[in-house]
Amino acid sequence: MVNPVLLIAIPLGLAFSIPLFGFISKKIAKFIPIVGMLFNLIVSITLISKVLREPIIVKLGGFPPPFCINLVVGPIGILFSCLIALIGFLVSIYATRYIGAKDKQRDRGQEERYHMLYLLLLTGATGVVLTGDIFNLFVFYEILCISSYALVAYLGDKPGVESASKYLVQGSVGSSFVLIGIAFLYGQFGTLNMADIAQNIDSPTSVQLILPLILMVTGFGVEATVFPLNAWLPDAHSSAPSTISAILSGIAIEIGIYAIARVVFTLFGAQDFFLFLLLLGLLTLLVGELSAFSQNNIKRMLAYSSAGQMGLILFALGVGTIEGIAGGLFQLITHVLSKALLFLAAGYMIYRTGSMEINSLQGIGRKMPLSCLAFTIGAFSLIGLPPFIGFPSKLMIVLSALLKQNVLYTVFIVIVLIGTVIEGAYFFKVIQALYFKGLPAQESSDAQIQEAPLAALIPMVILMALIIVIGVYPKIMTNILNSAASEFLDRVAYIKLVLK
Amino acid sequence: MNFLSDYIYYIGSFGLILIALFIIITRHNLIKKIIGLSILATGVNLLLITVGFIKEGTAPIFSNPNLDPQSMVDPVPQALVLTAIVISVAVLAMALSLAIRLYQHYKTLDMRKIKEQKW
Repeated sequence: MVNPVLLIAIPLGLAFSIPLFGFISKKIAKFIPIVGMLFNLIVSITLISKVLREPIIVKLGGFPPPFCINLVVGPIGILFSCLIALIGFLVSIYATRYIGAKDKQRDRGQEERYHMLYLLLLTGATGVVLTGDIFNLFVFYEILCISSYALVAYLGDKPGVESASKYLVQGSVGSSFVLIGIAFLYGQFGTLNMADIAQNIDSPTSVQLILPLILMVTGFGVEATVFPLNAWLPDAHSSAPSTISAILSGIAIEIGIYAIARVVFTLFGAQDFFLFLLLLGLLTLLVGELSAFSQNNIKRMLAYSSAGQMGLILFALGVGTIEGIAGGLFQLITHVLSKALLFLAAGYMIYRTGSMEINSLQGIGRKMPLSCLAFTIGAFSLIGLPPFIGFPSKLMIVLSALLKQNVLYTVFIVIVLIGTVIEGAYFFKVIQALYFKGLPAQESSDAQIQEAPLAALIPMVILMALIIVIGVYPKIMTNILNSAASEFLDRVAYIKLVLK
Repeated sequence: MNFLSDYIYYIGSFGLILIALFIIITRHNLIKKIIGLSILATGVNLLLITVGFIKEGTAPIFSNPNLDPQSMVDPVPQALVLTAIVISVAVLAMALSLAIRLYQHYKTLDMRKIKEQKW
C-alpha cells in the first residue's frame, strides 16, 4: 500500500524542486505539475476501494493520536483528493501551451514561478482535505491562500495586481479569524486534534463554543465565497489567466466549503446551525445568479456563477440529512468538472478574440467548434439538463429537500429552482451568441480565429466525457457519496476511528 | 484590580485585534491596511501565547525533577505562534510586493482611487 502522506509530500517536494530543474532545462518546468498530479491521481484512485472498506489513519512521528498530527484518509478525503488531482492534472496539460504563449519577451523565471505556485496551491488543497489536525488544516489552508494571491497577480498587469491586493486583505483577515477560533478551542480543550476536540463537544450551546464556531465559519467563508464575504471573487477570478481561474473556481473555493462543513459537522456537531447554513446558501445562490445575469464579461459571469453554485452546495449541506449532504457533494463534483471545463473553454475563446465581452464572441461557434461544444456542455451541465452530470446532482438536492416533508423546505427548493432558471437564462444568452449571432461577412476579417491547440483540447474532451459518463450512470458515484455523507454526519464513528 | 491583573494579556491581545480591524476597515491607504494586517497577526499571536501562559511558570523540562509540572508553561501554543509568525511574514511580503506593483501602475496607494475592477 502506498502511504497517503506521499499525496502531500510528492507535490510539495516537486514544487520546490522546479527552480532546480530549471538549471537543467527551461522547458522541463511545465511538465513537473503533470507528473506530480498524475502520481496523485493514480495513488488516490488505487486507494479508493481500500478507504471505502476502512479509512486509513496515518500517524506522523509515531505517536498515537491525539498527541501526533494525523492524516485521516476517509471517503471525503479520498473523494476530494481524487478531484483535486484530476483537475490539477488536466489543467496542467492545458497550461503547457497556454501559459507563456502570450508574450515571449517577459523574464524567463515567470513560467517556472507559475508552475511552482500552481503545485503549491494543489498541495495546500490536498493537505486541507486529508489532515485530521485543526492547526495543520490552517497551515495548509494558508499555503493554498498565499499561492492563490500570488497566482491572481501572476500577469502583473493592472487588474491582476489590483484584485490580488483586495483578495489578500480580505483573505488574510479571514485566516486570522480562523486562527483566533483555533486559539479559543485550544484554550478550552488543550488539544488540536479534531477528533479529540469533537469528543469534548456535544453541540455548541455556550458562548465559549459558539464564538469559535462563528469565527471559523466566517474565516473559511471568505474562501468559500459565502455571500457577504465574496466581494473579491469576481475580480480575482476574472483578472487571472484562465487556467488559474479554472483552478481557483474548481479547487480553491471548494476547499473553503469543505473546511466549513468539517468545522460545522465534525468539529462542533452543530445541528442548530444547519438552518442558518441553509439560509446563507440560499442568499449566496440568489445574489450570485442575479449578479451573473447582469454581466457582459464572460469570465465575470462565470465567477459569479461559481458563487451561486457554492450557495447551492451550502444549501444542500444545510438540509442536513444524508441525502442532502450526498447531494451537496455530488453538486460539488458537478461544479468542479463543469466550471473547470467552462473556464478552460473560455480561455482560448478569449485568447483568440482578444476580448472578454460576450458580444465579441458572436458567431465564434463556427470557427472553434470543439471549444464551443465544450462550453455548451459545461453550461448545460451546470444548469442541470440531462444527460449531463448536473441533472442527477440537482435532482438529488431537490429530492433531499422534498424528503424533509416540510412546507418550509418546499418553499426553499422553489427558490433554488428559480435560481436555476436565472442560471439557464444567462448561459443560454452566451450559447446563443456563440452559435446563432454574428455576421458571415466577418469571417474574412478575423481569419486568425482558429481552434484551440491539441494540448488544450485533450483536457476538455476528457472533462466532457466524464460529465456525460457520470451523467448517464450516476450510480457509479452513489457508493462513495453515501460513505462521504455519513462520514460528515456520523461524528461518533469519526471520533472512534481516530482515537480508538 | 484582580480582574485586570488576571486578564490583562487577553485584554491586550483583543485590544490589538480590534485596533487592527478598525485600521483595515477605515483606512484607505494600502500601506496602512498592511500595517493593520501586521497588527492583527501580532494580536492573534499574543492571544495564542496567552492561552498557554502561566504566571511565574517555568520551561517544560520533564527531566528536571525540581520543577513542578503544574507550573510549566504549555509549549504547544509557542510552537503554533512560530508557525503563525512565518505565515504572517509570507503574507506581509506578498502584500508589500503587491503594493509596489500597484504603485507602479496607478501612482497612488489610495484604494478609493483604484477602482478599475467594479461590480
